Amino acid sequence: MNTPETRDNVVMAQVSSGQVAQLAILFERHHRALFRYFVSMNRHREAAEDLVQDVFFRILRYRGSYNPAQSFTAWMYQIARNAGLDQERKRKADVVDIDTFEDRRVELISAAPGPEESLSRVQDLALLQRALDRLPEDKREILVLSRFQGMKHEEIAEVLGCEVGTVKVRVYRAIRALEQIYFALEKEKAS
Amino acid sequence: MNCEEAKSRMTDYWSRSLAGQDEAAFSAHLASCESCRSEVSRVGALWQSLDLLPLEEPSGKVRDRFYEMLGAYRQGRASVELPAPRRWWTQPVWQMAAAAGLVAVGLGLGYGLRGNNQPPAEVSQLREEVASMRQLVALSLLQQQSASERLKGVSWAYRAEPSDREVLEALVSAVNHDTNVNVRLAAVDALRRFASSPETRRAVVDALPGQTTPLVQVALIDLLVDFKERDATGVLRKLADDGQVNDGVRQQAQWALERLQ
Repeated sequence: MNTPETRDNVVMAQVSSGQVAQLAILFERHHRALFRYFVSMNRHREAAEDLVQDVFFRILRYRGSYNPAQSFTAWMYQIARNAGLDQERKRKADVVDIDTFEDRRVELISAAPGPEESLSRVQDLALLQRALDRLPEDKREILVLSRFQGMKHEEIAEVLGCEVGTVKVRVYRAIRALEQIYFALEKEKAS
Repeated sequence: MNCEEAKSRMTDYWSRSLAGQDEAAFSAHLASCESCRSEVSRVGALWQSLDLLPLEEPSGKVRDRFYEMLGAYRQGRASVELPAPRRWWTQPVWQMAAAAGLVAVGLGLGYGLRGNNQPPAEVSQLREEVASMRQLVALSLLQQQSASERLKGVSWAYRAEPSDREVLEALVSAVNHDTNVNVRLAAVDALRRFASSPETRRAVVDALPGQTTPLVQVALIDLLVDFKERDATGVLRKLADDGQVNDGVRQQAQWALERLQ
């Protein structure tokens, strides 16, 4: 149960002070969400599992740098982002040709139906997943943090190192971009 | 509020985190702006539908690897934190003498214990590591927010050593304080594994008066009968005589008293 004694930042402070076994509590609490974050970002289950392991290893390694006044979730996702970036740097294959993708996206969007056409029937989840996968990485990340990880705008601002107002605007732009891609894919499917 | 301000608040609106004056101003704007109203409805549907996407689950390997890493880290750290102080026996000459002595003792023991089938030290160490890992998993899961996770913690408690006091205390705490009745019931069942400890018996006797859920009360009474715990007669008598207590529980307490006497 999440009593004040077992709040994330209190437990992490215990880990920092040497009670490393307490990290298991945080692992059980967060490893699934972390896994889903990585899967949403790279669509690769094995890589996501490796990254979860890497994040908890880094938490142990850098436990001394944790400030208990800071949100544990925000700190953990800062570490997760760095772990993801490091892995990305190491990876050689599967480099997406962004320009080609963007051209194709604009072309699809221009052919998409107007906003009048209702989206109230978003039933094709496979299409929605594809749209999410096609969202540019920065937009996908902010949407995943906001929508799937249940993070507050303040925490996301801490993770991304920006203002809360900026987060709100970016989340809005991300969902609008998702809408456009979804429409475009729907149109593509119909034709 | 103008359209631009309204757009920056739409995600708050969809997340139901808009309140007070902001919410009032936002609603007022929607009432007067067809375009924003349409956008809130259309994009809001997409926002909500993201909830329907299937959730990916990690494989069990993630947990195994984590506890393996944590165990290795704790072991490594223990050896780092507890450096052997340099004493006379750390001097080479004494070490050589001790080594010779140990070889002699080892040979003697080897002959003496032939056929004794003692597990090698590595196996014992491995067992300790596994027990420690199981204890950690059980304790960690029992402290989770979600009741289903805490139930998993209870099932991990079955894998802990019957002498594990920390797991026993966590189970007793779950019986006494968990907000979910299924977790309390599962914890009562798991206490059977710790039956050999007098502490377990005492804890079950002490837990009974504090319970108000008939299901848990009956489960605890059954456990006391299984334990043949005669020290429970006082608590059971009180329960059987209490007119405020559920009839079924009172009957069960009476039945238990007859069995124990």
